[in-house]
Amino acid sequence: MPRAFTQFANAWVRLTSKSPIVVTFFAIVLGLLIGALIIITTTPAVLVSWRGLFHSWGGLGHALKVTFDNVGSAYRDMFSGSVVNPPEFWHALTTGKNWNQALTPISETLTYATPLIIASIGVGLAFQTGIFNIGANGQAILGGIAGASVATLIHLPMILHLPLTMLAGIAGGMIAGSIPGLLKAFTGAHEVIVTLMLNYVVALFLIFSLLSTALQRPNQSNDISRNFDPSAQLAPLFGTASGLRVSWGIFIALAVVVFAWWFLDRSSLGFDFRVTGANPNAARASGINAKAVIVMVFLLSGGLAGLAGVVQASSTTHLIDGGFLIGNAGIGFTAITVALLGRNRPMGILWASLLFAALGVGGRAMQASTGIPLDLATVIQSAIVLFVATPVLVKEIFRLHTAQTGAVQLATKGWSS
Amino acid sequence: MSVTESPTTVAISPRAAANTRTRVIGLLMAVIGLITTFIFGMGSVGSAKSSLTFTPVNLQSAPWHLGALTLSTRLCDVIIGLLMIALGVEVVVRHPAKGVMARFGLVAVLFFLALLVWAARSPGPSQVPFINLTSILIGSSTLAMVLIFGSLSGVMCERAGVVNIAIEGQFIGGAFLGSMIVSTTHSFIYAALAGAVMGGLLGLILAFLALRYLSDQIIVGVVLVTMLGSLSSYLNLQVLTPYPQYNTGHTAPNLAIPLLSKIPILGPVFFNQTGFFYVMLVLVVVISFGLFKTRWGLRVRAVGEHPEAASSVGINVIRTRYTSVIMGGAIAGIGGVAFMAAQGQFQPGYTSGLGYIALAALIFGRWRPSGAVVASVLFGISVYLADNLQTYQIPVPTEVLGMFPYLITIAVVSGLIGRVRPPAADGQPYQRD
Amino acid sequence: MQLELRGITKRFGSFTANDRIDLVVEPGQIHCLLGENGAGKSTLMNVLFGLLHPDEGEIILDGEVTNFADSGAAVRRGIGMVHQHFMLVPVFTVAENVILGFEPTKSLGRLDYEKAAVDIRRVSKAFDLEVDPDAIIEELPVGLQQRVEILKALNHDAELLILDEPTAVLTPQEIEALMAIMRSLAAAGKSILFITHKLKEVRAIADVITVIRQGRVVATAKPTDSEEQLASLMVGRDVNLTVEKPASTTGGNILEIRDLVVRDDRGIAAVNGVTLDVRAGEILALAGVQGNGQTELVEALAGIRSVESGTITINGRDITNCSPRQILDAGLGHVPEDRQRNGLVLSMSVADNLVLNTPRRHPFASRGSRNLAAVNSYAETLVQNFDIRTGSTQAVVGSLSGGNQQKVIVARELSRTLSFFVASQPTRGLDVGSIEYVHQQIVKQRGEGLGILIVSSELDEVMALGDRIAVMHQGRISGIVTPSASRETIGLLMAGVVEVASA
Repeated sequence: MPRAFTQFANAWVRLTSKSPIVVTFFAIVLGLLIGALIIITTTPAVLVSWRGLFHSWGGLGHALKVTFDNVGSAYRDMFSGSVVNPPEFWHALTTGKNWNQALTPISETLTYATPLIIASIGVGLAFQTGIFNIGANGQAILGGIAGASVATLIHLPMILHLPLTMLAGIAGGMIAGSIPGLLKAFTGAHEVIVTLMLNYVVALFLIFSLLSTALQRPNQSNDISRNFDPSAQLAPLFGTASGLRVSWGIFIALAVVVFAWWFLDRSSLGFDFRVTGANPNAARASGINAKAVIVMVFLLSGGLAGLAGVVQASSTTHLIDGGFLIGNAGIGFTAITVALLGRNRPMGILWASLLFAALGVGGRAMQASTGIPLDLATVIQSAIVLFVATPVLVKEIFRLHTAQTGAVQLATKGWSS
Repeated sequence: MSVTESPTTVAISPRAAANTRTRVIGLLMAVIGLITTFIFGMGSVGSAKSSLTFTPVNLQSAPWHLGALTLSTRLCDVIIGLLMIALGVEVVVRHPAKGVMARFGLVAVLFFLALLVWAARSPGPSQVPFINLTSILIGSSTLAMVLIFGSLSGVMCERAGVVNIAIEGQFIGGAFLGSMIVSTTHSFIYAALAGAVMGGLLGLILAFLALRYLSDQIIVGVVLVTMLGSLSSYLNLQVLTPYPQYNTGHTAPNLAIPLLSKIPILGPVFFNQTGFFYVMLVLVVVISFGLFKTRWGLRVRAVGEHPEAASSVGINVIRTRYTSVIMGGAIAGIGGVAFMAAQGQFQPGYTSGLGYIALAALIFGRWRPSGAVVASVLFGISVYLADNLQTYQIPVPTEVLGMFPYLITIAVVSGLIGRVRPPAADGQPYQRD
Repeated sequence: MQLELRGITKRFGSFTANDRIDLVVEPGQIHCLLGENGAGKSTLMNVLFGLLHPDEGEIILDGEVTNFADSGAAVRRGIGMVHQHFMLVPVFTVAENVILGFEPTKSLGRLDYEKAAVDIRRVSKAFDLEVDPDAIIEELPVGLQQRVEILKALNHDAELLILDEPTAVLTPQEIEALMAIMRSLAAAGKSILFITHKLKEVRAIADVITVIRQGRVVATAKPTDSEEQLASLMVGRDVNLTVEKPASTTGGNILEIRDLVVRDDRGIAAVNGVTLDVRAGEILALAGVQGNGQTELVEALAGIRSVESGTITINGRDITNCSPRQILDAGLGHVPEDRQRNGLVLSMSVADNLVLNTPRRHPFASRGSRNLAAVNSYAETLVQNFDIRTGSTQAVVGSLSGGNQQKVIVARELSRTLSFFVASQPTRGLDVGSIEYVHQQIVKQRGEGLGILIVSSELDEVMALGDRIAVMHQGRISGIVTPSASRETIGLLMAGVVEVASA
């Protein structure tokens, strides 16, 4: 058997030395392990079962069983709530009935992922240019506000109204993005501070616009907008009757992925962006206008975030209110972690968005059935990203012999740059 | 190093540039003064009167009674406006080397005062014909205290060269653990200690990832905030909701200092506070003194400005950074407990971005403890007024006032008013050979 | 204090920065360590100062073998170092910088500024180093900052003072003052190790001179040796370079530089009134010891450093202070001195780097969309033509050897339609084969009628390539000679000794 073992070991080394994806994979594993640890240490039933150990060793088997049951059911519910519930799926497959029910989990994940993909692509494009756009959430909110203005205050046939709503969202995001862009290019203000502060300014502006402008729903004192005109809504893909919420917006998201891939790999401007991100000095020497690139990348990144915001509103809630993209719903913040996990590549971001969307949606299902709060999903997400941002740590833990680090492509820098 | 030198920068004397900026700040102050004079002052009816009261509503040990002060709105605001103009003109003409930002802060506070006087005018749109100044100051002081804890934490970390963007996370951690400890032990001292340990632990994580693995400090900070936010929310539902005895929502008692707390107006603000407030005052003094007068402070600042130079004379850069970041985290952790001690029962998300305002106060305060205090007071008042505008019937949209701390910070980092300079090595990775 | 280095060897990976270096510095002696940039001087000093640990060899202080765990230990043993990049905190006062790490304190750990000021005044008086203890470092001129560095070392009771390229940042007057200080320190019995590549200073001040080249001690010289002798020792090459150069017909002026003044990062006029012409079909080689303004001159040409005054024209077109883009379009090809910093994007592919300057040019892109097939086939051709050793055109440039990285830049620049070509240190760090190849390519372009400017501190390269040789010294052209001129003549010009009439 030693030979087989050697072969296995060699294969392992080959695998782990090849690709940064391996680090990502192990980061996900570590994140899930931490999630399990948190469940174990905070679930009363599990803790009680371990208390049995103080009385007799016989309790060990029981304690382990309870532990595995709890962790297992949590993760199982997460999976069946976000991807597919095997029994239901089998039932649909064999009887041809209840397809809607079988597809609901994946539909929910795609619904959640749709705006996330778009916003994360925006953040990733900025990262690739060496810019840390922490303000995607504010840009998305302003996109939502602009989109909602067009969708609720103007009435047009769908063929005009829907595209116009989307364009308004993009424009809103671009406006929010242009502020840090222009300030960075012309005054050198650090984009992290500016975008961080703008997130709060925009969140307050959201309340202001919902309470003090024409956006507020008539005869209401709450911060809530009118409903989007049906002509400005992204309709469910399979019709409203299907109960599946996944909307035509998913095609916008896929188009954005394709666009981002084309932009980065095939377009001349994207080439400038990548050169600037990878080596600003060489970029300048080769004739690239650094200031123009900074402003453009913020317009693009902000525009995509704005689009994400309007897609979110137009495909799910059909309105915006004071809680729009606030707190847990802040897809702009999740987008930062998604971009990091996807290593800022369009395809990577697509997969990372799906994973994080599944964690989020699955978390809800888990909460519904086991009572374990869905916030666990966010904890797992942040743990994964901490590990992805620290590839060396992951390698030390798993003793990977990786030559490439697969580190996030962002130069560590302070406020002063 | 990410410093990119622009070829077009011709060496300008830093002094001359500073003078221009000082003038801009002075002009801005004068403009605010003009607005106050003409809109709040001359803009109100000549016969309008404003009433200010100084006795806090719900207070066991009220200060010596002072009665209400009724002023002519126009006269009062004109005088305040002229004072602001005078300050602005003084800055423009004399461009003093020190204290410009402090004067700016004073003008901002005066502006809030003028606003309140104007809002309380009678006859006027407001139903409440008086403004309780002391209540407002007491309310603001709690927020200012928390912000000061946070910005002092930032001072500690960033002076040593590590960006601590995770203040918000340390607040959350401190508030959460503090609430549990105080519910079980009924001791705010234990709660404060636990908060310090929690914050210090988060500081340790930040320092470990940033110093040992050279991870991007901003990314680590942002992710830590997300993680703490969701973890506290998870634990709240999973642990605190089923066991409410762990989250009973004590608020800390006020410890009135005899006699001093009876001083009208400011007595209750400074001398009838929770223990955390006095701890904060002590910390401000200790950190200012420590950073700028002692050997320890000189070394910390050297490490944050020029780690290679510090290392070349035998100072252990990495160890200094670890200690500072852990201490900074502990301070923010106590800040979280202080917030909990004022707000009561832990609720997910109830620090609502105060940690980021503390970061803003740190930047606005130019990475100095004294500046951070001035900025925190200013931001504390504006946040408090924004939250309570309804109560005081001020006809300004809440949200606009709420934007103030953020907008002013953007203006500051853009060099639109004043130019801030962070410690030179702040956020830069440092590697020993 | 007597210092002896025995067989110091320091390697970085496969690169040997210091190779069995022996050296003795006697008390009261000014010992000069002379060598080109990259010869290994700074590495040696960092080893001596405890910042790096030697792989082999030992440091002996007053007969005692010593090991420094860190630089703090070195300081405590009486070694003081004045770094090339000052180890001073810019926002601190003089006193704070001087006492840092060795602070006198009162109760509560308070800094004792009075004692510090007294100490500083005493040391400044003893060695004639006048400086205000309360001044802020960044507000002091560079010369005074350096004085603070020396003061700092003396305040820590240094017996051996290492000065790493101390004159690189100083004006001539400040250099004079520094020399006086060094003499007075030596007279007081301090040992001084003076690292430099400037011949004049060496001759003016040294008691003993050790010349190092490529990490090895190549000679010990006396200050009475001539500057030409020192120069050839310092820049000499073991490889004999021969470039086959057919006669070429020169045309009119392609590049005209008139009264050019360019400031360096510190605001000092590094290029100070240069006037230079390069004709079509001619290679003008710009020689000179490094740091005499060549770098800034080339950066100004390429548009990445602004011009203070004067003009640059290419083919009669004024490109002074134009953007890099405009200058590239005017037909300038540029091989930068620091290829990894300014010439390549290491994380991108060979193909992408080959079109770095021309990503939008037909057929590489049309209407904003890149044509990767065209880029790749172009890259294949270039890889073939320029003999770039790489597995694939899609390999990242960072994975190539230094020589092949340089070939990528040369290939990229020479494959555009150019009217003028400038290359800084085009063969630095390359193996013999690559050097030969790069030289051939340059000569080929000359045959096609380009104007060519080669900047090199390698005298052999300059003499082999140049049709005319301009020598730069302290921001000016100290002379222009033909390659038939003797090495001694060029050496004198490099030292700024004589001005020879234009050839």
